[in-house]
Amino acid sequence: MPTDSRRIAGPESSTNPYSFCTEKPRHDLLKNGKRQDGRKENNLRPIFLKAGVVSQARGSAYIEQNETKVICAVYGPREVVRKEDFSMKGLLTCEFKFAIFSCRERRQHQQDIEEKDYSVQLLEALEPAVCLDKFPKAQMNIYVTVLQNDGSALAAAITCASVAMADSGIEMYDLVAGCAVRVAGKNLLMDPCNQEEYKPEDETGLTNSGSVTVGLMPSLQQVSAISSKGEIEFELVKQAVAKCVDVCTQLYPVLQQALVKSVSERQNEEG
Amino acid sequence: MVDVLLSDAEKTFIIHGIQDNLRDDGRGCEDYRHMEIETDVVSSTSGSAKVRLANTEILVGVKAELGEPSSGKPDKGRLEFFVDCSANATPEFEGRGGEDLALEISNMLTRAYDCPKCLDLGKLCVIKGQQCWVLYVDILLLECGGNLFDAASVAVKAALYNTCIPTVTVSQDEGHVDIELSDDPFDVQHLDVTSAPCIVTLSKIGHSHVVDASQKEEACCLARLMMGVTEKGTVTALKKEGSGSLDPSSVEEMMETGKRVGQALNKSLMEVLCLEEQKGKKKEKTGFLR
Amino acid sequence: MFSCYIVTFCSPRIRKTSSMAGMELLSDQGFRIDGRKPKELRRIQCRLGVFNQADGSAYIEQGNTKVLAAVYGPHETAGGRGKALHDRVLVNCQYSMATFSTGERKRRPRGDRKSKEMTMHLQQTFNAAIMTSLYPRSQIDIYVEVLQSDGGNYCASVNAATLALIDAGIPMKDYVCACSASFVKDCPMVDINFLEESSGGPELIVATLPKSSQIVFLEMNSRLHEDNLSKVLDVAVKGTKDVYQVLDNAVRDHISEVSAFHKLDQS
Repeated sequence: MPTDSRRIAGPESSTNPYSFCTEKPRHDLLKNGKRQDGRKENNLRPIFLKAGVVSQARGSAYIEQNETKVICAVYGPREVVRKEDFSMKGLLTCEFKFAIFSCRERRQHQQDIEEKDYSVQLLEALEPAVCLDKFPKAQMNIYVTVLQNDGSALAAAITCASVAMADSGIEMYDLVAGCAVRVAGKNLLMDPCNQEEYKPEDETGLTNSGSVTVGLMPSLQQVSAISSKGEIEFELVKQAVAKCVDVCTQLYPVLQQALVKSVSERQNEEG
Repeated sequence: MVDVLLSDAEKTFIIHGIQDNLRDDGRGCEDYRHMEIETDVVSSTSGSAKVRLANTEILVGVKAELGEPSSGKPDKGRLEFFVDCSANATPEFEGRGGEDLALEISNMLTRAYDCPKCLDLGKLCVIKGQQCWVLYVDILLLECGGNLFDAASVAVKAALYNTCIPTVTVSQDEGHVDIELSDDPFDVQHLDVTSAPCIVTLSKIGHSHVVDASQKEEACCLARLMMGVTEKGTVTALKKEGSGSLDPSSVEEMMETGKRVGQALNKSLMEVLCLEEQKGKKKEKTGFLR
Repeated sequence: MFSCYIVTFCSPRIRKTSSMAGMELLSDQGFRIDGRKPKELRRIQCRLGVFNQADGSAYIEQGNTKVLAAVYGPHETAGGRGKALHDRVLVNCQYSMATFSTGERKRRPRGDRKSKEMTMHLQQTFNAAIMTSLYPRSQIDIYVEVLQSDGGNYCASVNAATLALIDAGIPMKDYVCACSASFVKDCPMVDINFLEESSGGPELIVATLPKSSQIVFLEMNSRLHEDNLSKVLDVAVKGTKDVYQVLDNAVRDHISEVSAFHKLDQS
């Protein structure tokens, strides 16, 4: 980066401004059966899901869960660029990116380790759902950008990407719905927002503290992604996974509706 | 992953065998292959371990260096994982060829160790917010014979157990903070790794699942579940890997197996490590000269 | 190994309780830092066939320098036909150092200037020793991994790679043996370790084909008077011949062991 010589340099010793602001105490995530944003343990945030939002992409979708906003575009199927990558199955690639301004602290332009990890997880969540054997020699690229991150970004990205994939008309076995849960003590908080998300640096002193994300193909009832962070007792992991599976099944109509809407809109345009 | 080429007939043979709880090398579905662990193999490190799991060979070196703590955790030391896939394992890893796999392994290990109770990082703090010990855990993959994640996690735990951190004394004079390092090889701190996790990978093959899949079995498997399991049976990390999907009920079964196997693995690993420590300097150091 | 902490930080100062000051490379009694005589090699221990998957592999310890080498091939050239040589085999090397091999942690195992240079040197050395014309349009990979470094990395790498090539059964004109030498207090010293290497004195590295006394690689760093060059070179070449003896014994032992196994199999 070229440095700006006219710019006044900051003080020699400086402290990150974020270390001064006091975050709300995190140990009471649940008070009288209500969470900080007024939801109950099992309640999800309202979901807005719309397919067909990026005009030049083959397929696209946008999801909003209160302050978590994710947009996804799908390009392809197109020819593989490198000859060595030839295979009888189609090639699916995934790029997950937090927009620079999406989080509390500024993100970098380049993908960092966390984003690369999410890219792989997203890819493995979607791979089982796409009929890749129908696309030999072809590649399909999925680009996911988190516009604003208020927790459960990976789960939202999974849902969004699968709808975008379906919107592109690429043949699929099923959609994939994603869902996250925060485990705190004995409580399972569905669809955690940023404040409720598990962060390893703040110790709450609880034995059970972590989060679980699940991706489910609802009509096949197959789990395509599963991931967890933090130390959780075994029984609770099982409960958390089961709960996520339930919620994902409930989400299915939302996904379907979004697709139906986009198809009928397209028909109206043509007709 | 490093792939072996298998024909459909060979795959069917392996899948049918696993259905009858008999694998092509004679093991049952929940058996590990023979594992050899040796600690203190590289003297230029603070702690090191070599693990050989059948054909998988992994060397881990831990280096303790003084550095700055991260801003989020000013009163804690840091733990950094780095995986290098040596081209010795396969020519595919030449240059940057092994980077994707390396990143996957280091991400999984970071995730498994990223909880406050796994390892007491508070002990590694020297001056709050200024100086702490940074443990660089460098994993060198020398030969691939399947089940890299489990072997890597076992090697990491053994190397951390073996790690000696020199005692430091902090003194203040006239605004200067002096850190004094002891040069006495016996004046050292050890890490408590009893609650550190081991990764157990469960591979879904046919209708059953197996632990410690060999390379051939990995070629037959579409979906794997990886779990970080501690001695108490808690789960520190969970990840589905591979291009297949799993039934919710089989996820549950796999997790049950993973917990059971993981606890047993942790227990026998600690026993072996204690035994090796008791032998101390008397033990024959063999390293690669067997 | 705490010598790596003599790093001064901006704010907190770090002090070591003892120091290495007053070390002499060659004492008046004629002993070196590690107690060797000037013309004494470090202890060499080696083993062939460390790995099963590689076509050939070897491990060597020269004092505290530990190196693993693996050989793959001869096989089809990787990355298309473009790279293949029509009259001889392509010798492809990669030198890398484990991040924990040195006193201070290395950030990258390979790709830095020094290891690229080392890769090139290895390639040149083995191009001279392998009977390259026997395998036209093919490729031989030699991968060297330094696990612990205490001086003489190049020498140990060459010796390990030679053993690995022999283990792989690749025809060579002769063993390639490498050895280093230095010159302190009018006295040539053979097989120098890290401390002696970093003291700033001259360092001569030579790789030879011992039977025919041919030099395949020669490098010298720092300053040395012309009159002394032949003395140091002689010592280094003598060193390579000593190394040859050790390697040859190891190979013969290995082969007798393997053939014993083979006989057991047959009976």
